[in-house]
Amino acid sequence: MPMLQWSVWLSIGLMVSSVWGARGQDVTGGSPGQVIVTQRAIRHVEERHWPDSPAQGAGKFSPGITEESFRQLVGEAVANGRARQNSHGRPGQIYEYDFGHPIGINIDGRPAYRLRVVVNQRNQLITAFPF
Amino acid sequence: MHFDYRLSEDWDENTTDLATADETDLRYYAATGDIIFRTDQTDLSARWGWIPLIDFALAMRKIGEGLAVGEGSETFEFTESEAKLQFDRRGQEMTISGSYAPGKITIPFTAFVEKARDFGQRLDAELLAKRPELGQNPVYQAFKLSGLSA
Repeated sequence: MPMLQWSVWLSIGLMVSSVWGARGQDVTGGSPGQVIVTQRAIRHVEERHWPDSPAQGAGKFSPGITEESFRQLVGEAVANGRARQNSHGRPGQIYEYDFGHPIGINIDGRPAYRLRVVVNQRNQLITAFPF
Repeated sequence: MHFDYRLSEDWDENTTDLATADETDLRYYAATGDIIFRTDQTDLSARWGWIPLIDFALAMRKIGEGLAVGEGSETFEFTESEAKLQFDRRGQEMTISGSYAPGKITIPFTAFVEKARDFGQRLDAELLAKRPELGQNPVYQAFKLSGLSA
């Protein structure tokens, strides 16, 4: 009988922990420190937001940005920024962080102090830009 | 109100396989272009070339649905900038303004819903004609772009 009780409690514990774990992943999208920055995402950001990008209507990083410094900006924004759900059914989350100094220019060509980082449900970087 | 789009010619360069592209691919990287949003007096068009048009069509549907029940406001955030479109419904009218251009456009709410539906249907037809493999993509199918309704 004690063995039966033990196994029942073990089963309940496993069920609760698996549900709790899944819920936590859904809510947070994983640990903010673990944003995955793929080469594809880097390429996308370079095409839209690098200082020499010709893309119109998109913020640009300051000259001198490198892949390494970009990764650091993203990490800092995700670790310290304000998080919110993406809008209008888009997957994932948005992080916004004010660095307190210009990191680029916004679409009006004025200094941009903030970074918006967009990640999907798997915590993979989709895009990031100064604003 | 003229409510239209223009697909960029090189939009699919970075999209590897449209038959298996996931939601992120389809809403951020695929089918990019311009949106045309203007009247004789006001031009809220965004001719930046990079606007993901599938995402835009879905968001317009969502905004129509969100405001169908009555007065209220919705904001559309562009995917690659701080630019926004603001939609305010007052009574039977919808007023649209943009953070990146002066002026406002006011149209009947029902006209906005119809134009959003038409936008999605035309985009769906053009995309499937140009890239038929999209029709095999279950994520794209689930969007039901041609079934836009509010």
